[in-house]
Amino acid sequence: MAAFNLNTPFFNHRKVLSSIKIGTAPVVSLPMLPQTLPDSTAFTINNTLSTRKPVDKKDIVNNTGGKFGKFGGKYVPETLITSLARLEAEFNLVLHDSEFQEELTTALRDYVGRETPLYFAQRLTNHYKNSEGEGPEIYLKREDLNHGGAHKINNAIAQAMIAKRMGRKSIVAATGAGQHGVATAAACAKLSLDCTIFMGATDMEKQASNVLLMKHLGAEVEAVDGTFKDASSEAIRAWVGNLETRYYLAGTAVGPHPCPSMVREFQSIIGKETRKQGMEKWGGRPDILVACIGSGSNALGLFHEFIKDEDVRLIGVEAAGFGLDSGKHAATLTRGDVGVYHGAMSYLLQDEEGQILGPHSIGARLSRGWTGGELFKRNRSGRVSYCNRRRSCCSISTAMPLGRHFSSVGGLSRIGFPGETMSYSTQWHQGCGEYQRSWR
Amino acid sequence: MNTYVNKKTFLVFIYRHRWKPNIFSLFNNIFSNFFPIFIIKIPIIGKFPKKIICHVTSNMAATATSNATFRLGNPLSSSSSSSVYSSNKLPVNFRKFALQTSPVKSFSVSCTLTRKPVPAAPVSMDSDPNGWRRPDSFGRFGKFGGKYVPETLMSALSELDAAFHSLSKDEKFQEELAGILEDYVGRESPLYFAERLSEHYKRPNGEGPDIYLKREDLNHTGSHKINNAVAQALLAKRLGKKRIIAETGAGQHGVATATVCARFGLQCIIYMGAQDMERQPLNVFRIRLLGAEVRAVHSGTATLKDATSEAIRDLVTNLETTHYILGSVAGPHPYPMMVRDFHAVIGKETRKQALEKWGGKPDVLVACVGGGSNAMGLFHEFVNDKDVRLIGVEAAGFGLDSGKHAATLTKGEVGVLHGAMSYLLQDEDGQIIEPHSISAGLDYPGVGPEHSFLKDVGRAEYHSVTDEEALEAFKKLSRLEGIFPALETSHALAYLEKLCPTLPNGTKVVVNCSGRGDKDVETVIKHLRV
Repeated sequence: MAAFNLNTPFFNHRKVLSSIKIGTAPVVSLPMLPQTLPDSTAFTINNTLSTRKPVDKKDIVNNTGGKFGKFGGKYVPETLITSLARLEAEFNLVLHDSEFQEELTTALRDYVGRETPLYFAQRLTNHYKNSEGEGPEIYLKREDLNHGGAHKINNAIAQAMIAKRMGRKSIVAATGAGQHGVATAAACAKLSLDCTIFMGATDMEKQASNVLLMKHLGAEVEAVDGTFKDASSEAIRAWVGNLETRYYLAGTAVGPHPCPSMVREFQSIIGKETRKQGMEKWGGRPDILVACIGSGSNALGLFHEFIKDEDVRLIGVEAAGFGLDSGKHAATLTRGDVGVYHGAMSYLLQDEEGQILGPHSIGARLSRGWTGGELFKRNRSGRVSYCNRRRSCCSISTAMPLGRHFSSVGGLSRIGFPGETMSYSTQWHQGCGEYQRSWR
Repeated sequence: MNTYVNKKTFLVFIYRHRWKPNIFSLFNNIFSNFFPIFIIKIPIIGKFPKKIICHVTSNMAATATSNATFRLGNPLSSSSSSSVYSSNKLPVNFRKFALQTSPVKSFSVSCTLTRKPVPAAPVSMDSDPNGWRRPDSFGRFGKFGGKYVPETLMSALSELDAAFHSLSKDEKFQEELAGILEDYVGRESPLYFAERLSEHYKRPNGEGPDIYLKREDLNHTGSHKINNAVAQALLAKRLGKKRIIAETGAGQHGVATATVCARFGLQCIIYMGAQDMERQPLNVFRIRLLGAEVRAVHSGTATLKDATSEAIRDLVTNLETTHYILGSVAGPHPYPMMVRDFHAVIGKETRKQALEKWGGKPDVLVACVGGGSNAMGLFHEFVNDKDVRLIGVEAAGFGLDSGKHAATLTKGEVGVLHGAMSYLLQDEDGQIIEPHSISAGLDYPGVGPEHSFLKDVGRAEYHSVTDEEALEAFKKLSRLEGIFPALETSHALAYLEKLCPTLPNGTKVVVNCSGRGDKDVETVIKHLRV
């Protein structure tokens, strides 16, 4: 177990950060104190690990020192603490820097292609209607139309801009399917930063075209024995070796604080747009949000905006691979145990001795052994429910994914069946092109 | 033989293709028994050209000669016509009723005067572009374009023309189309200032143009093709058609068509040359995954032009139930006009975005030209603005002198292909020359008639770029901007090498980034050892 930090100063950030710009709601604490703080500010030290009471709903929104209840945190060697603290301070600064926000908005609009549409999937909706013609209305938030083909670029471009601002010359990142690697390489090419991507050797074989894309974008791709988790470790090692000039671009909502918060913040544009578009299209909020979960960045991006709205149901879907009982799955939140991995406390798939279990899923990006701490917090307090689906069957016939990942589905329904559970499983039978549905 | 040659105005050649009767044809549609007759009307404008080379495609796969062409000398001289075949029994209006009995290889040319000629209005660069009729009522752009099709297709095309005109004024249709373009396709696509690319092209004194990319690669399915596919599918639905056919070369148009058919619940059949299917297995798989049927075409050279011919054959057989979604601004009227108008949203958005970004118009527009749809979509809005320079970039393959290229407007000659008069790559006998380009989308021996018109009139300039230069441009944009363009787009980007040094400081150049390059990764692997 890595040492954990108990002495994170915490203060009521609302006093200081009162003028919040461009819809950002930072919920991170400032370990490095700006000079402008008035003397009368009160500080409290909160040791969350000593109490065992259930998480209060209030705490869902206020996170303390990168902790989400008991999850999250900064389980890292001391050498990294200063670096992470500096990153956190910079992150807080950019949240309120209008110039940065404007530049980011322009990049998101012109380079990434935001805002992405909220598309009413007519035929899919019709397909799910029952015999009386009743059923939910299904909308798709089209993150597949972003540059690079996934939501990953939202975070990659923002973090690359932060790295440039901090004067870093090179970026390191780890990637599983390659999507995050491609997004990072693209952002680095645009901002003329050097880029090194670590990728598991098996993944490199499976995703050869992504590897080539990364190389064409000017990034160096380093092969690592193993899969994504080993690539992550290698990337962090590379970062630690050269903290002054390197920047570790976390692609997902895992890792030590402030990485999960940063990723969530930059992906939350998805939820913000959804709220605005929901208002325009049907004059209200969505009733149910559905997203797939590998490590949770796209889900958090969609959910974050609606956490406080009690009437919006949040559903995360993990990969059950060959089935939960087969042992070959990636259903971390359902079958995992609490532990510390890559700097944060979270659920993870581990055996009795605490060794990491290799996950399996047909969707490479869903095969993570762990999931972002924040999602667990949501789980514990009952706000988010998780279902497992075999074979990660989230492909939609009308909006064709690029084949590489079937995991990018954000679906919302406007009318839920009263009194009936919305959980159902859909099985995609490969080859015959039909799918059946069974209600549970 | 009925031969009328009116020296002043019209020269009409009627070519009837040989048909071999067999038992199966008796059960076919009546029209297929009297197939097909091509009426080639060549208006005489001013100086009569010495050679008119007309290409006529065969509609019957059963015949050995896949492309039958003939060369005409000066029609005013009596020695012009080739062997007459037994048309003695034929009445003047013989289009529908005669059987052919002559041997396989011979064919005839006979002429008849059908109506008063309407010469196209003379056009030159000095005249006001606002006065140019693009197209005129016959579907001609100057002398190009037109409707060189069998009689059986004329009514269908007229119906399509009428439907198109009525729907372009129909508010509900336009609203529905706008909604789909916004939510499904993901418009409007951004106009992105390519900072690093502009820096790269600056001269040592720091001066150079500002380069903007119109990001059509961000559309759903990754190219501009979907703009047209979605609109035509909607049109087909309005016409009550349940069945859609399309041809495809690289597969991009096939994928776009299959996508919209899945979206609208229409039956979809894609014709693809067998050779192209081997080169693009991923796209073939995608089309099948979307629920469409892919039919391999083995005739001719088994590439795009043969797939187009096969699709036209299918269309003629199934006129009532089928709509043919043509992928480019080629083909008989009204297709060039329709496809251009559906893609014109690109130019309209560019004008609006340019005004927002720098308060003016673009100075130079650059786009790649295969059939010409993305270029026409960008240019159309600005054709009347003479101060905007229009540059089309074609594929020079292995080089213009190698004979292996697809630079139609640079090296082609005027002829008729797939129903329209335009420039095309043909040899001395009028046979189509197989084009070559590393990019499948530019690998077309013809070009849209409007491009031919713009070139002749001098409004637009057309250049070409080799495979190697395109690959370099692919690498360059990837490294400098993190955007991997399609190989087709790379041709447009490659031309910037020659263009930028000539432009004054601050010139606004808009390049149409017509597609993304995921589909080309394997091709690039083979050519660039990265």
